[in-house]
Amino acid sequence: MDCRTAHARIGEKADGILPRDAGEELSGHLSGCPSCAAEDAATSATGPLLRALVGIRAAEKAPALDAMWTRVRAGIEEGREAQRRPRWIARWVWLSAAVALAVFTFLFYPTGADRSPFHPRSFDVAVEDVESEAGTVALVDKGEDLPRVIWIIEDGKT
Amino acid sequence: MNGREKDGVQDDALIRATLAGDESAFRVLVERYKGRAFGVAVGIVGDGDDALDVVQDSFIKAYYKLKEFRFGSNFYTWFYRLLVNQAIDRWRKSARSAEVPFDESWLSDDASPPDAFAYPRTPEDLARNRELGDALQRAIGSLPEYHRAVIVLREVEGMAYDEIAKTLGCSVGTVMSRLHYARGKLKEALKAYRDR
Repeated sequence: MDCRTAHARIGEKADGILPRDAGEELSGHLSGCPSCAAEDAATSATGPLLRALVGIRAAEKAPALDAMWTRVRAGIEEGREAQRRPRWIARWVWLSAAVALAVFTFLFYPTGADRSPFHPRSFDVAVEDVESEAGTVALVDKGEDLPRVIWIIEDGKT
Repeated sequence: MNGREKDGVQDDALIRATLAGDESAFRVLVERYKGRAFGVAVGIVGDGDDALDVVQDSFIKAYYKLKEFRFGSNFYTWFYRLLVNQAIDRWRKSARSAEVPFDESWLSDDASPPDAFAYPRTPEDLARNRELGDALQRAIGSLPEYHRAVIVLREVEGMAYDEIAKTLGCSVGTVMSRLHYARGKLKEALKAYRDR
């Protein structure tokens, strides 16, 4: 076995996927090649060292880890509150909008007796044409920059 | 483990109970997996306090997403996907992620001189050797996030290639190449520490 093959096998060995016969062949190479033996020592140490490092961090934070459920439960409760809040806000938004619409309608809905302030009579109305005896066609002109509006008044209703 | 627990109630039963409104069932899941989850999180984010936050946030997220869990699959694989993504997000948001530039110098084939160096293998031994711990932490920090996740899931969690692939949503081939890459990087850090 050459050193290049040995390096590939060292990785497989660290992963635990090296077949037994290949492992024996690798061992034979390592015993006679200090360079590959050093490579093998460093590679096979990565796993245990990583676990050791995690073990140290876990030991440092053991008390906080013991209280994990308390933290998680508080977070769950906070999430519930957050879910309730928007619905509560939404209800008030809809209610406010409904009230505003009702007030607007009450104030400005044109009745038969009084159509002010939108009735053409309240503007400077230019009557352009009368097509029917039962109705009046009026062209409302509120100024040069504003669009003209055509009103059709029939039996006193717009 | 196949998503089951030999002792006590199975994961699936606990999930069903949680979905039915039994919060104490979810507590059992938290107690069951918090230690392993912390190991994975701290391996990825490095800092213990950040890892605690990641574990907490992942369990909370899992609680609210539990109705999306597909019965028959492994809870921990499903949960670890949330956990790893949460840890990677945390790492990206952290200023530490910009500290160490990515390099490929470990790919060189130069052989190190032979010696009889013995690396520590227990937390106690490593705790006594703070320099090595720091060197290892820096090496982990220099890995791209998903490479770090792969080596942590493999070495700390002992997950199989296909489980890692499912957890990270990638192919087994990608897992193997990332693992090879990550292990090489850590190996170089250890050799550099030894040769200093």
